Amino acid sequence: MTDHQHPAELRPKMVGTRVKRTEDPRLLAGMGQYVDDMSPAGTLHVALRRSDQPHARILKIDVGEAFSVPGVVAIYDISDIEGEIKPAIPTSRLPGYYATPNWPLARGKVRYVGEPVVAVVAESRYAAEDALEHINIQYDPLPFAIRQVDAVKDDAPLLHEEAGTNTIIRREFKRGDVDAAFEEAAVIVKGRFRMTRKTAVAMENRSYLAEWDGRKQSLTLHTSSGSPGIIRDVLSSCLDLPGTRLRVVAPDVGGSFGAKGSLYPEEMLVCVLARKLKRPVKFISDRLEDLSATSQAFDELIEAELAVTSNGMLIGLKADVIGDVGAYSIYPWTAALETVQVVSFLPGPYRMEHYRGRIRGVLTPKPPTGPYRGVGRPSSTFAMERLVEMAARELNMDPVEFRRKNLVRAEEFPYRTASGIIWDKSAFQECLEGACEKADYAALVRQRDAARREGRWVGIGLASYAELTGIGSRISVAPGMPINTGTETSKIEIDATGAITASFGISSHGQGLETTLAQVIVDELGCKLEDIQVRHGDSALVPMSSGTYASRSAVLGGGAATLAARVVKGKVLRAAAFLMEQNVDDLDIRDGIIASRQSNLTMTLKEVASAVYTQMGRIPREQREDLTASETYDPYLGTACSSTHLAMVEIDPETYGVEIRRYVVAEDCGKIINPMIVDGQVHGAVAQGIGAALLEEIIHDDNGQAVAASLADYLVPVAGTVPNISIVHIEADLPNNVGGFRGMGEGGTIGAPAAIANAVSDALAHLGVSVETLPITPERIFQLLRDKALAGQPIQTPT
Amino acid sequence: MASLRYDGISGTMKPAQFDYAVPNTVEEAARLLAESNGDGKIIAGGQSLMPMINFRLVKPSILIDVNRIAGLNRIELVGKRVRIGATVRHHQTASDPLIAKHLPVVHDAMQHVAHVTVRNRGTFCGSVAHADPAAEMPMVTRFLDGTIIALSIRGERRIPAADFFVGSLVNSLEPDEMVLAVEIDVMPDEAGWGFEEFAKRHGDFALAAFAATLRMDNGRARDVRIGMMGVGEVPLRLPEIEEILEETELSQAVLQAVAEKLNDILTPNTDIHASADYRRHLSGVLAKRALRSAWVRAGGRKEATNG
Ligand SMILES: Cc1cc2nc3c(=O)[nH]c(=O)nc-3n(C[C@H](O)[C@H](O)[C@H](O)COP(=O)(O)OP(=O)(O)OC[C@H]3O[C@@H](n4cnc5c(N)ncnc54)[C@H](O)[C@@H]3O)c2cc1C
Repeated sequence: MTDHQHPAELRPKMVGTRVKRTEDPRLLAGMGQYVDDMSPAGTLHVALRRSDQPHARILKIDVGEAFSVPGVVAIYDISDIEGEIKPAIPTSRLPGYYATPNWPLARGKVRYVGEPVVAVVAESRYAAEDALEHINIQYDPLPFAIRQVDAVKDDAPLLHEEAGTNTIIRREFKRGDVDAAFEEAAVIVKGRFRMTRKTAVAMENRSYLAEWDGRKQSLTLHTSSGSPGIIRDVLSSCLDLPGTRLRVVAPDVGGSFGAKGSLYPEEMLVCVLARKLKRPVKFISDRLEDLSATSQAFDELIEAELAVTSNGMLIGLKADVIGDVGAYSIYPWTAALETVQVVSFLPGPYRMEHYRGRIRGVLTPKPPTGPYRGVGRPSSTFAMERLVEMAARELNMDPVEFRRKNLVRAEEFPYRTASGIIWDKSAFQECLEGACEKADYAALVRQRDAARREGRWVGIGLASYAELTGIGSRISVAPGMPINTGTETSKIEIDATGAITASFGISSHGQGLETTLAQVIVDELGCKLEDIQVRHGDSALVPMSSGTYASRSAVLGGGAATLAARVVKGKVLRAAAFLMEQNVDDLDIRDGIIASRQSNLTMTLKEVASAVYTQMGRIPREQREDLTASETYDPYLGTACSSTHLAMVEIDPETYGVEIRRYVVAEDCGKIINPMIVDGQVHGAVAQGIGAALLEEIIHDDNGQAVAASLADYLVPVAGTVPNISIVHIEADLPNNVGGFRGMGEGGTIGAPAAIANAVSDALAHLGVSVETLPITPERIFQLLRDKALAGQPIQTPT
Repeated sequence: MASLRYDGISGTMKPAQFDYAVPNTVEEAARLLAESNGDGKIIAGGQSLMPMINFRLVKPSILIDVNRIAGLNRIELVGKRVRIGATVRHHQTASDPLIAKHLPVVHDAMQHVAHVTVRNRGTFCGSVAHADPAAEMPMVTRFLDGTIIALSIRGERRIPAADFFVGSLVNSLEPDEMVLAVEIDVMPDEAGWGFEEFAKRHGDFALAAFAATLRMDNGRARDVRIGMMGVGEVPLRLPEIEEILEETELSQAVLQAVAEKLNDILTPNTDIHASADYRRHLSGVLAKRALRSAWVRAGGRKEATNG
């Protein structure tokens, strides 16, 4: 009964427990409050006329009879507002980079189909849409290069003339003597890998509401953002408003998957319009707008070669990558975020002495690319893990054995990769073993071979990777980006009623951080879970913050919470020691009850709070401390999160439909705060990775038109597409950061495309084809086989 | 008659303005349709119409909602025909015992239609009226030679399916006509059938689908009917294929001949989901599978297909 009699280490902890998500009752009962649920009196609605041209000069905008539509308040193009807002410039320290200015509406030219050009403001969205139909934009079409291989050429038409080139990013990583390694190699495998363009498809489309308060001359933006702090900071300079007069709030947000972490033109637009019109202004994008104007992902062409010795040791890797960054460099992450990480992460979790990786990021007339769960690594892991399995096959080695030989081993940590990333000790080898053990790899291989003897096309594929998570101030999340992404602040306050408010700069949008951060605080502070209210997603809570992205919130937010809770706990115990006349070292607090090891005296947190704040004279003036603390945590470097995925697929030898038969993930995310939430993140991210592997593709035709304009064309995985996913949590050595946590929100999307590509390739290996483009659709399998003149032939039986 | 206007409604559904009427009888519905002078639209399940309205691809002046008209939600046996009323939902057709018994090929086809939420709203007749060439309901109606019962203030008209589907999303209804029901002859008890479809995700519109019914007479196929969808501008009935099969014994050679013929006669579209060549390839694959099932169900020996 008297739990608090146990030494602290032996007590049950909240961290590590499958606590049900405290945010779920409101979200599942439909009581969540999203931006679109807010409708202040007098709200105006915006509808946008978007470009239907990939690249054109805007000659004339004719509003026709648009003002005759009842309810229309204003119609603007950029010339009406450019004096009232400055563009956002996504600067970077990378040499040779060009930062495209980002305006709320197209200025002079349009650069992709879907770019906002004209804003209609009306009393209702219906009226605004009615008015749009009257607007006629005259364009002078300009030449363009829609494919990156063309856009990168010297004589390609320029999208941003000021840049003098379309290639706005160049970066090369080099280590050792890669040419010599290739000369020595017994086996060289190569491929031309392409992870086609994707988009995140959050359930809630992007939504913005700006309110101008004439009394305080201040602006509040409610935004479906994962980074309200970053948005506040940039808008502060664009709108010339100090933080005291500009507040950015992310209320409940229905998913982001990275795509809601950037600044968007529409976000700038509602702010400038609310200030101009002195009324609340709302913009809610619809699904078509989401698919055509939310940031997109990947789209690199990776030509890579791997050199291997006869006994299966990786010795060299070469890569030449062209990243298709779209029409603008996105704020704040820049076009380097995705592209540069492809080459910096390409060597993966393997020992690799000799490396040369080059990336060119080129502008094309498509929506800008930006963060997407996994950033860069889904592409790099796909390319590298394909090469690894190709090499193993070439050498007739089991791919598991091949990986075991080459994955960095326990005694080699910290390991510095060829591109300079430092892997701290993480369970690289153990994840490989864990996945194989869970799947019973040997039995799976027997099953596959037996199926093959029956003529079935069955394949097994693995993917091992490591990612850098919870990054501190030493490294920027986006290469070269000057914004600090390496700190987070937690402010914990116990008020006069004994209730605890924990405020953060992070901004949870589905990750369950209200629950996990509270769990961390419970263990550190010794209070009850239900006494804590976690607040986040509001720029007014802490002085500076950058939000939730890059698998950082558990590490940085959890670290800051730990530090702040410790300080507050110290204050509580000092006050209690005085009140209870005990030595502070004899006191501990648990479940909100302070007890002494030397007596059976107890006090509740509420009693202590009351004594500190409201009961005059109970604590002498010089000893009285507010029960509050604000602590900022900076892990300085980052920590590796490693994983191995294993997939078994079966392909219908006639229709070429792919089914996933088995899926296993083994991952090391350090100390697990809430295993249920970790499972949920893995399941969700694997589902997303399955979409990338088998279904999803943003397609622009040769005319630059976006042809996947609805969810009937952009196919996301549905329940029936997703198999059971077994998960093995490997808690090896804890990382050397405050909480011992590693970030794990992104891993599934990194491993799944590669593992599935490998499994499909294995299933098709007897036909001599290899998967180099994702998604691997029935059509693509058909084309691969047809190129080999095998499609439609009597079914080949694998041997 | 209620009227919905957008004034004061916020949110992001954004069709152009329309009136909305909920008649209680088919006569009233027909009258409203006639009064709309060709600008009105019947709304049944709304599963195809609402997206088109929200994209402003169609801008009807009035929506005439047939969902509250009593008596239209029945599947009945009328003599030797199964009659499916205008508000019969997909889930109902998919699980109806009369359909399963008398039109088992329709029962099988229905299992491929959409997902639960869509099935709970979408109607058989609405799908037929919508005339999507990759939709199951038009396909089965066409290849089983169903009849569309149309109603207008001028009275009832029976339209053979062969004359109904004129193009992709185009039917031969007059602007003032609505679909009251679809009637399909019951399949003979001894008929065998096969339905095969392929989509990237189960429940999506088909990249191709193939349906067959046949009867066995002295070890040979008789009364062969062949239908396909997803590979043309309209749902297809394929007499060229029926000819190959009629009075033959199903064999590998016959199946191969069918696949080759399909390859010659089909002119499917290339779109972002599949090329014309892949669709042709798929058609042959699905044909073989569906024909084998139909053959076995009609009482044919399995071995015959292995030759
Ligand atoms: C996500 C999704 C997936 C789908 N997947 C499939 C699928 O796999 N296979 C498939 O076949 N379909 C699929 N559909 C379409 C679905 O089957 C539709 O329900 C069907 O096509 C239309 O039926 P409805 O009752 O909803 O018609 P509505 O949407 O109400 O109307 C469609 C059209 O028919 C007209 N109409 C409706 N009823 C009548 C009538 N009685 N008389 C005259 N005109 C009428 C309307 O005016 C309109 O032009 C899918 C739909 C969705 C949203």
